Amino acid sequence: MIEDLRKELSIFPNGEKSEKIYLYLGHRSHYKERPILAKAYGTANLFRQPRAHIYENDLIAGSVRGLFSSEFDERIRQKAESDFSSYGENTFFTNSDHFAPNYRVFLKDGVPGTKEKIEDSMKKHNGEKERRFLLAVKITFDGFIDMIKAYSLAAEEKAEKTENEKNKKNLRLISEDLKFLIDNPPKTFRQALQLMFMTHTAFSYEGKSAMAFGRIDQYLYSYFKKDVESGILTEQETAELLTSVFLKIYENRYFGFDDTVNICIGGITPEGEDGTNALSYIVLKAVKNANIPGPNLSARIHSKTSDRFLDECLKVIATGLGYPALMNDEVNIPALLRHGYEKTDVNDYCFVGCIENFIAGKQPPWSDGRFNVPLYLEPIFFNGKTLINPEYIGIDTGELDGLKTMNDFLEAYHKQLEYAMSVYFAYFNNANDRYNPENYSQPFLSIFCEDCIGRAKDIRDGGSKYPSVHAPACMGIATVADSLAAIDKLVYTDKKYSLSQIAEAIKANFQGYEKMRKELLAAPKYGNDDDFVDRYAVWYVEEMERLVSPYKTRDGGPLYVGIASNVQNIPAGEEIAATPDGRKAKEPISDAASPMHGMDKEGATAVINSVSKPDYTLAACGTVLNQKFSPQMLNNEENRNKVKDLIKVYFKKKGQEIQINSVSRDILKDAMVHPEKYQNLVVRVSGFSAYYVNLDKSVQLDILKRTEHNGSDGV
Amino acid sequence: MEKEIKRNCKKIQSEKAGKTQTETKLSDKIKPESVTDTLNTSKKKTTTKTKISISKIQRFSTADGPGIRTTVFFQGCNLRCKWCHNPETQSTKSTFLTFCDERKEISGKAMSVKEIFSIIKKDVDFYEISEGGVTLSGGEPLLQADAAKKLLSLCKQENISTIVDTAGAVPFENFLKVLPVTDLFYFDIKASDSKKYLSFTGGDFSLIRENLIRLTKTGARVEVCVPLILGVNTDASSRNKIANLLKTAGINDIILLPYHKYGISKYKALGRNYEFERKKLTPSSVIEKTKEFYRQKGFTLKTRK
Ligand code: SF4
Repeated sequence: MIEDLRKELSIFPNGEKSEKIYLYLGHRSHYKERPILAKAYGTANLFRQPRAHIYENDLIAGSVRGLFSSEFDERIRQKAESDFSSYGENTFFTNSDHFAPNYRVFLKDGVPGTKEKIEDSMKKHNGEKERRFLLAVKITFDGFIDMIKAYSLAAEEKAEKTENEKNKKNLRLISEDLKFLIDNPPKTFRQALQLMFMTHTAFSYEGKSAMAFGRIDQYLYSYFKKDVESGILTEQETAELLTSVFLKIYENRYFGFDDTVNICIGGITPEGEDGTNALSYIVLKAVKNANIPGPNLSARIHSKTSDRFLDECLKVIATGLGYPALMNDEVNIPALLRHGYEKTDVNDYCFVGCIENFIAGKQPPWSDGRFNVPLYLEPIFFNGKTLINPEYIGIDTGELDGLKTMNDFLEAYHKQLEYAMSVYFAYFNNANDRYNPENYSQPFLSIFCEDCIGRAKDIRDGGSKYPSVHAPACMGIATVADSLAAIDKLVYTDKKYSLSQIAEAIKANFQGYEKMRKELLAAPKYGNDDDFVDRYAVWYVEEMERLVSPYKTRDGGPLYVGIASNVQNIPAGEEIAATPDGRKAKEPISDAASPMHGMDKEGATAVINSVSKPDYTLAACGTVLNQKFSPQMLNNEENRNKVKDLIKVYFKKKGQEIQINSVSRDILKDAMVHPEKYQNLVVRVSGFSAYYVNLDKSVQLDILKRTEHNGSDGV
Repeated sequence: MEKEIKRNCKKIQSEKAGKTQTETKLSDKIKPESVTDTLNTSKKKTTTKTKISISKIQRFSTADGPGIRTTVFFQGCNLRCKWCHNPETQSTKSTFLTFCDERKEISGKAMSVKEIFSIIKKDVDFYEISEGGVTLSGGEPLLQADAAKKLLSLCKQENISTIVDTAGAVPFENFLKVLPVTDLFYFDIKASDSKKYLSFTGGDFSLIRENLIRLTKTGARVEVCVPLILGVNTDASSRNKIANLLKTAGINDIILLPYHKYGISKYKALGRNYEFERKKLTPSSVIEKTKEFYRQKGFTLKTRK
């Protein structure tokens, strides 16, 4: 059945993506209303009008296929497109997606409870603005209810038509469940999952990406437990239902990209107990069975996590999928507590997008940007200028001769970074604050965030319990640490070269300076458990925290430090001239929190020791440590135990995150030559997984270059 | 902010000067380089000045015993096994390897016991959790038995488990030296008779045989490692002889290691001819049969993982 559904999903829809037309049509029929209301009608129409698509093999309904239509003529399409561009820019920068809804509360209330909350609040609020907001909420929610109805009807119709008895039964069940959900909160696991996924589908209609499922093993557990105990559901069926939902993430490919829907399992409960349960294991299995890049599974690990759970996680990683990413509660929780959230909320954290820590349904959607840290070494050497892209300039920190000690050098670097951060922040602020919350309000999204309805305020306008956060993804920690160590060693400790000589070599991209480059490359490198260089990684993380701490988001929220880069380390590298670590101009900088590829030569324990030296409770956004283990390390139980112990030590030493790729080098190489043979090969890229053959060649090479740990080969 | 960074820089500076600042977070996380200083004061100075000629130190070594281990490969071996997969460790002198991608490596450098131990000690947390430890391999570690003993003693002082991986062709007194500080011996038995031993390894079988028997008599924990090589030790008669030897020695644990050719690139890098280049790999049917044979004889099959 699952395989049949997979087949159905793999056929791309006909027609053109038309969500803007639906918005436009809804908006047009209410153009006289105030903008917030006219737009709410647009959203309601987007939920209502498209054809509700049901797959023959559906177990849980919800599909974006209905957004594709060929019924509209070109003139309307163009009009909708052009109007839409002034209709409201809801992007990542303006806190519109990358969000984990409060499914725990929404499933408890269900449709009727939510309706009641909206009506109650309407009675309590008399202000014009508040009432208008609540009305907009109600309009969109009514549209959502109609969407549920439409799916219920469509499922019934499909059931009539199908001849396969099993499918008929499933489709009837879907139809009945949806009908039930219109007037009742979910009672069964199936209904709870259905309501959750119908909501997720509505967000997909809206074009929101990276909408997380959050702690699915927590908020669905009570339903699961009850159903299993009363005998109406088996673990096998639960896994199938979940797999069918995870598979649907594949639908994003119709829009041209793989979505990263973060799913969180394990971790402690709000009360601080181990929350890992039977459902956590089933989710693991279901994600494995789905075998597609989209569900970005994250497993929260803490001191009470059982060995068995960690082992099951590693077994899924061993398939090559690269997830779950393993997250350390013992770092993430203190990191979030630093920002003043309530303890029970922090204990209940999950993730959005790749690895970003998030308090589900209690803060506005996420935003982040990239901060190219190694770039700002250049202006120290060249009187405030950078060499490759003239757009980037630093400040003049004086003549190089004036930097007499390593301290002086670090201070000059600090000034450059401080300036760079101010430029970064101005840019972010401009993007983030450009759209006033009222005209660009998000009434539907606000329903899923505490306590927008109660306060009668939009999610971006003070409705959420906590203010918005923003995180610069600070890149190139290893490139920076290695560069600083090389300068420390060759300029200040061994006094072999002057800073001016290094500047000359950088300018020449080491041409004519091969000997110097060799020495720079031979200086201590991050990832080898050598304090001489590791101390600069410690400095880096502290420095990033120093840089962001003076700033606040529009609504007074904090800036988090992120030590992540996705694959941005490649384009970022293209903007940077040669660096003192011996890296040549335009080459990729180091990836996320990982050592520079190929520079970690002392084995996995040394990497772990190095990487756990910085204080990652200062990085509330999260970090990414990419490690590669050969498949034979993970497929054999004794070796897997060793990897497990390695991770345990890493977490005990307060490492924040680790994600593991385990596709053999030979396969990766072969896949570059014969992509046709590897259409379904999923690999861990960075904070997410992807189909290998779809990645840019530069990214493929980058993954290939990661140091592979395979222990030793014995006799 | 300015102040903060100055403070921070100072922290780094003072650490560089070797001072410890116990009150700061930074120095909590980064311990000063000389981790073994405290050990030196408690023992005779000479202990750790002794040098060992080593080929390399491998951390996160996973095929040299239980748990996560650090393997110290000693330089120098008195055998010349035709299948040897660590040919660079055979000569007692430093050896240069030049790989086909022009990467160069040197095998064989003198390191003090103290230096080696400071590397070993970096991974104690990993040994502890995984019940791993240190393995001395090579080459033949017991050719440098005095130095090996010193290194192993330091390990035992820190409660680190120790394994010595030996081909056994050394004077028995060398065994006696390391005996008190070795938790487990991996003892290679490569062939079943003197002729084969001599022609395939250059080793003196009677000495090796004698050593094995004497070693087990001391009560030492010994596991015998047999590399399974076609035409050397996988035939029925060889198996029987090996089994008998082990029975005589009173050994119950045996590790069968399938022959592989991973060493081939090293022979090329050394500019040496690999006699076994065309040797057939041991078919899995033979491996299974051999395993079954020893199992039937009542031996416990172990792995080095
Ligand atoms: S005893 Fe070991 S190191 Fe020495 S030659 Fe034989 S296989 Fe090589």
